[in-house]
Amino acid sequence: MSHALKAAPAVVLDPITIEVIGASLSSIVEETGEALIRASYSTNIKERRDCSTALFNAAGQTLCQAEHIPVHLGSFIGIVPHIMRLHRIEDMQPGDVFVGNDAYAGGGTHLPDIVLAEPIFIDGVIVAWTVNLAHHSDFADRGHAHIYQEGLRIPPVRLYRAGVLQKDLQDLILLNCQVPRERLSDLRAQMAANRVGVQRFTALCAKYGTDIVLAAGEALLDYAERKMRAGIAAIPDGTWRFNDVFDNAEISATLPLSVEVTVKGDSMTLSFDAPDQLRAGLNMTYTALLATAYYVVKSVVDPTILPNAGLARPLTIIAREGSILNCVHPAAVNGRVQTCQRVSDLILGALAQAVPLNVTACSNSTCTVASFIGQRKSDGAIWVYLETMGGGGGARATKDGLDGVHVHTTNTSNLPVEALEIEYPLTLLRYELVEGSGGVGQYRGGMGLRRVYRADEDCRVRVDVSRLRSRSWGLFGGGEGAHGAIECGPGVVFQADCAVLKAGQWFAVVSPGAGGYGAPEKRDRAAVARDVAEGAITAATAQEVYHDPN
Amino acid sequence: MARWRVGVDSGGTFTDVCLFDEEEGRVEVWKVSSTPDDPSRGIAQGVEEGMRRVMPDAGDAPGAAVSYFGHGTTVATNALIQHKGVRTGLVTTDGFRDLLEIGRQKRPDLYDMQADKPPTLVSRDLRMEVPERVRHTGEIDTPLDEDKMRIAARALRDAGVKAIAVSFLYGFIRPEHEIRAVEILREECPDTFICAGHEIAPEFREYERLSTVVLNAYLGPVMRRYIERLTPRLKALGMTATPHLTQSNGGVIGFSTAADMPVRTVLSGPSTGVVGAQAIGVLAGFPDLITFDMGGTSTDVALLQGGSCKMTSEAVVHGYPIKAPMLDIHTVGAGGGSISYVDAGGLLKVGPRSCGADPGPVCYDRGNTEPATTDANVVLQTLNPEYLLGGRMPVRQDLAKAAIGVLADKLGLGVMETAQGIISVVTANMARAIRVISIQRGHDPRDYTLMAFGGAGPLHAARLAKELDMKRVLVPRNPGILCAMGLLLTDLRADFAATKLLPATGASVEEVSAAFAGLTARGEEWFDHEEIGPDARRLTRTADMRYAGQNYELAVPLPDGPITAATIASLLEGFTESHRQRYGFIAEGEAVQLVTLRLEATGVVRKAVLKSYPDAGPDASAAIISSRPVWFPEAGDFVTTPLYSREELKPGNLFTGPAIVEQMDTTTVVPPGMKVSVDSYLNLILEVTA
Repeated sequence: MSHALKAAPAVVLDPITIEVIGASLSSIVEETGEALIRASYSTNIKERRDCSTALFNAAGQTLCQAEHIPVHLGSFIGIVPHIMRLHRIEDMQPGDVFVGNDAYAGGGTHLPDIVLAEPIFIDGVIVAWTVNLAHHSDFADRGHAHIYQEGLRIPPVRLYRAGVLQKDLQDLILLNCQVPRERLSDLRAQMAANRVGVQRFTALCAKYGTDIVLAAGEALLDYAERKMRAGIAAIPDGTWRFNDVFDNAEISATLPLSVEVTVKGDSMTLSFDAPDQLRAGLNMTYTALLATAYYVVKSVVDPTILPNAGLARPLTIIAREGSILNCVHPAAVNGRVQTCQRVSDLILGALAQAVPLNVTACSNSTCTVASFIGQRKSDGAIWVYLETMGGGGGARATKDGLDGVHVHTTNTSNLPVEALEIEYPLTLLRYELVEGSGGVGQYRGGMGLRRVYRADEDCRVRVDVSRLRSRSWGLFGGGEGAHGAIECGPGVVFQADCAVLKAGQWFAVVSPGAGGYGAPEKRDRAAVARDVAEGAITAATAQEVYHDPN
Repeated sequence: MARWRVGVDSGGTFTDVCLFDEEEGRVEVWKVSSTPDDPSRGIAQGVEEGMRRVMPDAGDAPGAAVSYFGHGTTVATNALIQHKGVRTGLVTTDGFRDLLEIGRQKRPDLYDMQADKPPTLVSRDLRMEVPERVRHTGEIDTPLDEDKMRIAARALRDAGVKAIAVSFLYGFIRPEHEIRAVEILREECPDTFICAGHEIAPEFREYERLSTVVLNAYLGPVMRRYIERLTPRLKALGMTATPHLTQSNGGVIGFSTAADMPVRTVLSGPSTGVVGAQAIGVLAGFPDLITFDMGGTSTDVALLQGGSCKMTSEAVVHGYPIKAPMLDIHTVGAGGGSISYVDAGGLLKVGPRSCGADPGPVCYDRGNTEPATTDANVVLQTLNPEYLLGGRMPVRQDLAKAAIGVLADKLGLGVMETAQGIISVVTANMARAIRVISIQRGHDPRDYTLMAFGGAGPLHAARLAKELDMKRVLVPRNPGILCAMGLLLTDLRADFAATKLLPATGASVEEVSAAFAGLTARGEEWFDHEEIGPDARRLTRTADMRYAGQNYELAVPLPDGPITAATIASLLEGFTESHRQRYGFIAEGEAVQLVTLRLEATGVVRKAVLKSYPDAGPDASAAIISSRPVWFPEAGDFVTTPLYSREELKPGNLFTGPAIVEQMDTTTVVPPGMKVSVDSYLNLILEVTA
């Protein structure tokens, strides 16, 4: 049987068929994502939904990504080309499933994001790939000086060969994980998801004809490109620069970051300046930078553009190799989403000068992460619990920012308290909006969140938290958001980014607030009064900043 | 003598009254304009006029002959959509008052930074925290601080709230703090609507439970006022029958239960349509149905297997999560009024914007220039090109054609191809909605019959069936009044649940048995309250199960009889099979848990029996009233197509497409390659010819 790729024959398509097949591709990735979440075991996937699904064409370009986590696109666009580089297409068979996570040999963006990719065969030829990613909450309590400290590196290799599990490999992977039972179950859920993807895509091809579906897939890429170009063309030509700084609990330095965005006709160039890569887990691979830039530009120019590879065509993204925004081996990458978030706001800062109505002021500009690890008293088993916290959303040109939400390249759910306390020896004492944390302005920045935990057994906690030394900026006279923070109960010492908790001790994580938009004097009086009544601002702020006569 | 069963579906525009004569088996229909400022007026007027039509000598008690009164209402839904609930307060566990606002911390739209969450229904200053804490084990960590509770109650009273929700962490495991809080609130705030989590949604996941309780409080006084207005109006008509209201689960409940639990009625309207479809489908011999209720601005779809619609225990309704038993109805914001346009990338899009009833489609000539789906049908002549609504609404095909021509120019296609393209895009959108309730739930639509109703359902159904490879379409006799009809065909129904995390092993027999005994006692209490006779009582039990470690459960039915080790073994078997079917694998050797035990209590009522008519032979020619050219994509051209009058079609009649069937409330399109038969209940059955 020949597995060589055939060139798609010329098929004439009308815009209606393209639209119909596009809707079908969206429903396939939604369905695969639902299967993954419902069959999974780890809190990070079943409740927090830290996972994504996508379809790729045979050339390794994204056909459609489900609306889950934008930064996961970075791993998706990385892995399929790496599979093709490391494995001969002629040797691939139906039922082969590749597993991978490595940032340098596997196209991943950090090691916990394990991707399963399965080629879809029709008549002996690979026509597409179904790909899904699950953030496995493991590899905890590790160092981040370089990637070798961060967990097991997996290049794309076959976990299943012609439908048969490669148990030796699975055993090797599981032995390197701290919570192997969860890993096994989540890998099974990922398999269930890919099975749905293969079945549904095959059925789609049977219905319309493979040639038609593949041609429609190409046409949808062109379509996304046209919409992206139309959106960019609506922005005036010019070059805009924006500078910000990056600080994080993991590092002591405050790093400068800048971007120069150039719009020329219907294309856009984003050129970044950043310091050398760090001996810390905050470095971004180039694919993570691409995923971030695609997310921001799409959101600003037209949120309805299909999330496929076509939207990237009008964009040129430049960052120096070896810098934290385009790191090279052996840089550590575990906390790359911290940096992705800051870069998202950096791009918005530049675009605010060109299209002030389409952007937001600086959001909380980070993804606050707390990860706990301990050994259960009952059976000695290691438990790992990772959670990410939302924060303030940047104020907008015509309305306040959103309070306590996930922003930009991430969008995971919180874990219900009633699930958290059943699964882990932790008690959540408070979960609340941080009063006064939103930047002032005609439109107020969103408020950050505070989560107060009590350890019920001894454990360690590591926190990624940012905006400790800097603050999220406002736009056009809007004020800055409040700092992120760690609060420690008696006896708890937070050093660098870690703390040891004894049973009964408490500690709290505070995510940053967001920037305001427009001068506070222009704020509607009723909105000021409401903010005071609801405790979003104090009466003193109302008087001093908003000159409220009450 | 009381012999009339009356169903009233009160919608935004019309109030439909369906009257069924128990003695003679005839169905009468009456329609009046709705009275949105006080819907009970329209309802009373509709019932009175309807009854006087069937009983002209009813005197001053036209309601006396009503033996059963069933009612579907959009009161709760509308109050929710328009945010016209009452000023509401909340009492919750110390540290968690912001949970209502934070929700699951996800943003409302992944890419659209301008999107907003739906408004929080209780403002932050009316969300009170009181010290108390129950553990997931049921132990009390911190006792309820009754002094602080009283202070909170007084603060809410002074703030003038009309309703108060109480929801504490783990209230579903150990409710005593909630019970005490409610007692204190009743003392301090005597005229206030008060409800608590353990009564309204005693289930795991605190945010979704909180959202449900708050919504219930927010809607409570609205529903109560509505019922307090409607009840005396019905009494004034001389009606003695106990009035009933439909819940989102398709069953009806008494008015007083509805007034306590309005959150259970947010799908009252569409659920009656599903119930109507179910009864007609079973009668016609098609128990496996996908319902397709397409109106002007929205479309509801649902799947019925073996004559029953799947129930869901949680859904997001108008942006708010609700934990309540609801029929698994999926709604899409697209209908006959949805606007078509060409987007920046050059593709044809339809909806979600709608032209509404006013100005209506371009062809109404009331100022709209953007073509709606109805305009495409008028251009294709699948709809009558001169008038709609049985002649009451003249239309301008030339205007519709010109509007679609503008799109055609942008697309580089002909006007007819573009009009047909609009239908294809609508069909694809509808197919996507049906995939959500069928394929995504593990059902193959090809095994189902498509039941089309609503004003636009029968117009699009054949195309939709073709898109999904479905072989059969059923168009009921009265597609426009199916909801009102459904009210005469439904049983009384209540659902009870207990969340109890137990291993699915023989060791749990006693606890499962005790839990079901508790649920059964509540069910029997409800039967008594609804005055349901012993012969009419039915109880069905299910268990939500999962592998220990998963958080999503699969519902498995329990066999009848006392609970023994064999019951648990049968549950395990059912779970394994269901898991394999759904996810393609089973986790051999992994522990299985029982999570929520559910009891469905049904009070069987005497339902309307639809009359069947004798076979009149296959010749349908007498029903042909004329013909007109209709564009069919199969021909790529206009085809002279016979027009049948629905009223003249008789049981046993057969004809083949292309054909158009017209009736006052809808138009049925029969494309080439389909044959139609009229069954003994006057349903149209469209099937693909082999």
